[in-house]
Amino acid sequence: MDFGQIAVSVGFLLILIGVWGILTQKNIIKIVIGFSVFDTGLHMIMVGIGYVKGGTAPILDGAIAPGTAPINIVAGIVDPVPQALVLTAIVIGLGVTALMLAYVVRLYEDRKSLDISSYEDLKW
Amino acid sequence: MVKKLFVIIVLIGLAVFFYGMLSSFSGNETLNMSAAYYAENGAEEVGAANLVTAIVVTYRGLDTLGEVTILFLTAAIAAFFLKSKDNFSKRKVKESSELLKTASSMLVPLIFTLGIYVFVNGHLTPGGGFQGGAILASGLVLLLLSEPLQKVNSVLFAVVESISGLFYVGIGVAGIFLAGGFLDNSILPLGEFGTLLSAGALPVIYILVGLKVGSELSGLLTKFQETQEEN
Amino acid sequence: MVNLILINPIYIIGIGLGTAFLLGFFKKGKSVAWALMLAALAVMTYISFTWLWSFIFNGQLPEQVYTAGFKPPFSINLLMGKSEAFFTFLISFVGFLGGIYLFDKLKEQGTHAISVYLILIMGLNGIVMTRDIFNLFVFLEIASIATAGLIVLTPDIKAFSAGFKYMIASGLISGFLLIGIIFAYYFGGTLNIDFLIQADLLAVKGGVFAVFLIIIALLLELKPFPANGWGIDAYEASPAGINAVISAASAGAVYYVLSKVLPIADAKWYTVTAVVGMITFLGSNLMGIKQADAKRMLGYSSVGQVGLLLVFLGLSKQLGINFEFIVFGIIISHYLAKAGLFWLAGIVKTGKLKEWGILRRKPVLVFFMGTFIFALLGLPPFPSFFAKWTLVMTLSAAGMNLWVGLILLGSLVEAIYLFRWLGYTVKLDDNKELSLSTPLYKTIPVWVFGLLTYYIGYLSSTMVPGGSSLSMFYIPLAFVGVLFIVDKFLPVLIKNTVSIAAMAYYGWYYMADLTEFRMLFAIIFIGGGIITLIAGYAKNGKRIGFYPFAMMMYAGLAGLLLSENILQFFISWELMTLGSYILILRGKKSMPHALSYMLFSLGGAFLILAGLGLAYASSGANSISLDILKNVNQYSGLIYAFLAVGFMTKTAAIGLHIWLPGAHAEAESDVSPMVSAILLKAGMFGLVVLMLSMGSQSLGGVSLPYLLGWLGAITAILGNIMAVFQEDAKRLLAYSSVGQLGYVVFAMAFMSHLGWLTALAFALNHFVFKALLFLAIGGVVMRTKTKTMYEMGGLIKRMPFSFISVLIGIIALSGLPPLTGFAGKWLSYNAVIEKGWYFQGFLVSIAGLVAFLYCFRIIHVIFLGQPKDKFKNIKEAPLPMLIAQYILIGAIMLFSIMPNMVLKPVGDFLIQYFPDGALQWQGGTAISRLGRWSGVAIMNITMGIFGIIFVWLLFISRKAVKVKPFNIFYSGEAPSRPELTHFGYNFFAPYKKAVGFLVQPLVTRFWYGLADILHSISDLVRRLYNGNGQTYAFYVIIFMVVFSFFTIGG
Repeated sequence: MDFGQIAVSVGFLLILIGVWGILTQKNIIKIVIGFSVFDTGLHMIMVGIGYVKGGTAPILDGAIAPGTAPINIVAGIVDPVPQALVLTAIVIGLGVTALMLAYVVRLYEDRKSLDISSYEDLKW
Repeated sequence: MVKKLFVIIVLIGLAVFFYGMLSSFSGNETLNMSAAYYAENGAEEVGAANLVTAIVVTYRGLDTLGEVTILFLTAAIAAFFLKSKDNFSKRKVKESSELLKTASSMLVPLIFTLGIYVFVNGHLTPGGGFQGGAILASGLVLLLLSEPLQKVNSVLFAVVESISGLFYVGIGVAGIFLAGGFLDNSILPLGEFGTLLSAGALPVIYILVGLKVGSELSGLLTKFQETQEEN
Repeated sequence: MVNLILINPIYIIGIGLGTAFLLGFFKKGKSVAWALMLAALAVMTYISFTWLWSFIFNGQLPEQVYTAGFKPPFSINLLMGKSEAFFTFLISFVGFLGGIYLFDKLKEQGTHAISVYLILIMGLNGIVMTRDIFNLFVFLEIASIATAGLIVLTPDIKAFSAGFKYMIASGLISGFLLIGIIFAYYFGGTLNIDFLIQADLLAVKGGVFAVFLIIIALLLELKPFPANGWGIDAYEASPAGINAVISAASAGAVYYVLSKVLPIADAKWYTVTAVVGMITFLGSNLMGIKQADAKRMLGYSSVGQVGLLLVFLGLSKQLGINFEFIVFGIIISHYLAKAGLFWLAGIVKTGKLKEWGILRRKPVLVFFMGTFIFALLGLPPFPSFFAKWTLVMTLSAAGMNLWVGLILLGSLVEAIYLFRWLGYTVKLDDNKELSLSTPLYKTIPVWVFGLLTYYIGYLSSTMVPGGSSLSMFYIPLAFVGVLFIVDKFLPVLIKNTVSIAAMAYYGWYYMADLTEFRMLFAIIFIGGGIITLIAGYAKNGKRIGFYPFAMMMYAGLAGLLLSENILQFFISWELMTLGSYILILRGKKSMPHALSYMLFSLGGAFLILAGLGLAYASSGANSISLDILKNVNQYSGLIYAFLAVGFMTKTAAIGLHIWLPGAHAEAESDVSPMVSAILLKAGMFGLVVLMLSMGSQSLGGVSLPYLLGWLGAITAILGNIMAVFQEDAKRLLAYSSVGQLGYVVFAMAFMSHLGWLTALAFALNHFVFKALLFLAIGGVVMRTKTKTMYEMGGLIKRMPFSFISVLIGIIALSGLPPLTGFAGKWLSYNAVIEKGWYFQGFLVSIAGLVAFLYCFRIIHVIFLGQPKDKFKNIKEAPLPMLIAQYILIGAIMLFSIMPNMVLKPVGDFLIQYFPDGALQWQGGTAISRLGRWSGVAIMNITMGIFGIIFVWLLFISRKAVKVKPFNIFYSGEAPSRPELTHFGYNFFAPYKKAVGFLVQPLVTRFWYGLADILHSISDLVRRLYNGNGQTYAFYVIIFMVVFSFFTIGG
């Protein structure tokens, strides 16, 4: 197992834990935390997918100095794409979490309860 | 309890599925087609030392615009339903500790500086607009922790947010006229590789992103602060 | 066509976002912000419009839009093709109108809400255009977060809990989507959709996981049953204006995305999509039945419609070249109708379906509501009709009959709740305490979409194969349209005259050269129509809503006769159904009956459609001429059975009759004859066409005409027996119609010359005397204000002309000499003896005897006996009604004296179909193999006998004592139940004891039982939606896990 595979396995594990939290916790703040765990797992998977054995960070300043021949750059770095994607994913996750918490604030203001089963007004 | 059992069964199903995925993943020996292209041509085409930044801001600039939009959205949504309480600054809170107060007054300027540094150098070093913006907002968190009743000028955030957003879109559109397409960074000269003034419009965009993210997160935080009623 | 300057589609995104950011400066100027948003949406709409225009008219080629100055797959690109132009146009346009509609809500919540709304529309545009799968994810997130935000535009606790549930579920879904995307990137080496398709993920070991996650996540975004509680709750909680946009725009966008991404998978995934779609379509519509809240019900309906689209997408390969047209028709109908209905829901404000009566304060909105509902259900002339038609034809030709059946079944279930809702709106009380908010900014969008529904319907009709033949409907429908427009302004007098003139002109100009049985039916439909309209002069006021729909019904009836192909025929059938449905719905207590009429009619229409589809396929799928029925090679028994049962929903054969009594009895006095005497013949006309084209067919070794014969006989006797026990005069006549159409079916089933002569002659007869009876009784009911016979009595003195009408009517009906009915009987006995169906013939002749009983009752109880005090000063029926009746009486007399006038020409053309056993004519005398019969002679003999008896009766009763009602009633006692004091109550009680078991409402019980079962299932299944966000999330995961087992075997 290389770092990539380890990251991906841990990521899947975190996702399972997150889903467990989302599906079993009654407290809506804990559900939101479940989402955070889920997201973290997701991000680990994304980064792990982009890992290349022996590669370094895709920044052309240290190990791979500016001016390195393109062919050597290709051989020396990890995949930059998933890192770019994960940045976007993290920000989106942050936005969603913030918004969910904002909903929680409003829900709590109205009913003074954090139990998800207190919010079943609409059904059937 | 029955429900938990169901959840466990379903989670086992999910785990089996994930195991299948995991076992199909064998790591990478080399870069794939897209990544190799970026590695080979990124430096030359975009002129940013940080390839991730080159991808984030230029190659996949539309994603980044979208992601800025998402933050904008969350801030806007929270703003229209989290109605500020007029009396939020009159509630009673425990005095913050001396330690926190002193530390924050010393640290906050540093944090802000670091944040700005991170997004200004986004095209050269690890970091960038989002990271820098988040650091800026974390400075605000510290401020609010030490002075929970403090009134923050949220109008300023809104203005900064709008202006930086508009400029971002504006730079994108300028790319259509002056360069190869929407969000093309070569509307400004690419400059000397590896220096602060390089990579065309990329640093400008990242500064705008930094400001925008910083102000959006700060706005959101202020909103949360202003809705608090309890002690 | 005019060249429009094309604008780079990236500006759709640029302008949307730029404006949203700009709005930050207008925190105080909310109206300015709103106007800016509208301007941005208008520009976005216009950009898409220029592209759409160029694609359609100028042969524009699809255009790639590159970003960042690099080519894909290394940078994100957008595509503007015809589909993209179409979908983005739809999105921005509904966004624009919806933005107008939401004026008050958006202003109330301020600038932030306005920019969120704008970003939602921008995001949906991005979803449609992007060709990069991660970028797609970003736009999906934008759209779903914006949606979550707009759900709480009315910030109450329900909205927040719905929003939270929505976020939990959509958060999970997008998480799984992202895993899929990153693995697709790993296996495919790119994020560009086109390159991923080339990369053939399924060929790579493990690639199937990526494909699975991406597709299942997109399917889940489309809210498949039952993992869609989060979406449904959101529909219920969010403001109607937002729902309109979510339902019309979001669903379309995500659907399009799925169609764009599905090519990364193989055929199996298309099947999965179709199956998921079908489950959703059926499941959601089933749920719809039990809903009491308008928005929630529309939510289920929306989800169901998207399911239907998924079915098409999954079957796109089988649908071949027709795929685009079908999807276009269904999407555009869903788009216009759902947005329109949600907007109406916002205008009505109350959620409860039963309070929708208040919409009647604005009749034009009710009109549009009907329009939208008809469009959703695929009735002509709306786009979905042409789509559904093409769909059935195409699928049948591909031999996919199960899919056809399920789609039609789901549509029928959808019809249950939508028509019930329309019924509530038209009939239930207008609660004065509730308010209707109809500012212009709310009604204008409804108007625009309502009118567009018609225009697009017209466009679709020109695109459907065989569409050019539909020009035959233009003139009649244009006339109907004009009637709609002037309906509010003109009095009955003018509208009635114009309608009569129009029908006469149309009949004379278009139908005069019809031949054979078509001519016979033309006389019934058009001639009968004109006569019943004459009775309409009796009405005062404006009678809003009557004339357009009556004319629509007649246009359909006329269309049936003029049809040359199955498309024309089916459209005519549906137009007639639609028009008559509204006519029936107009009656006082007709709500439940109109609903069951519509459901039976629709069920019948679907059977007919399925039958026609099979016939089309079976005859080689290359012609839609009506003649294909003569050339079927396969499934002939099934086609015959489907069509026959379909037509018999209109003739109300026993088992399919339960809608009729209520519908006919509760209708207005001049509508009853229209539906009972005229409309029923449409079903008969269908049977005529079917049986003459297909002859005798058998199914499973049983001859179908033989079955029809039994069915006809049983219908005849049971219909008549049921008529005997009615207390309500119009119901009595209605049941009698059931029985008499039984005769017709019975006689046609002989498939012999005499049988058909009987049937066709009887059809004409039945029209005349049933119209006469309904008009006469209708006149009485108009004056007495009751339909219950025992409340009447002795009316002969006050209404002698009506009495004579009824008398002549019942003589003709019961088949007594000298009138026309006797001719029918004589013929039918000849036919029975020829055919040798003695037992069935016996049943039918018993039925004839039974008819005497109710004939006697109706004239005796209403007109004879003692008059009641309260009707002492009652007036004779209005003159126009009497005129109509006496025209009919004239027809009866003429036909009775000169039966050869009709029988001879009918016999002449029947010879080519049934050469054997024709009647011979000697002047006015008919000669069959068994005997002879002369109308004039019979008339003379009978009148002679009658005259003698009449004189003798007068003579012996000259000393009779006249009694006043008071002398015999009550005997000084106060009656506890007034009906017990009238001899007419439960008139045939002894017979009821004897044969009552025959008329137990078994059939009614069967259908109601079926309805109950449907309701119970619906009620049971909807418990799945327990309102708990966690449970909904759980369903999402289960859905995924279960489908992973099915598709990739764990």
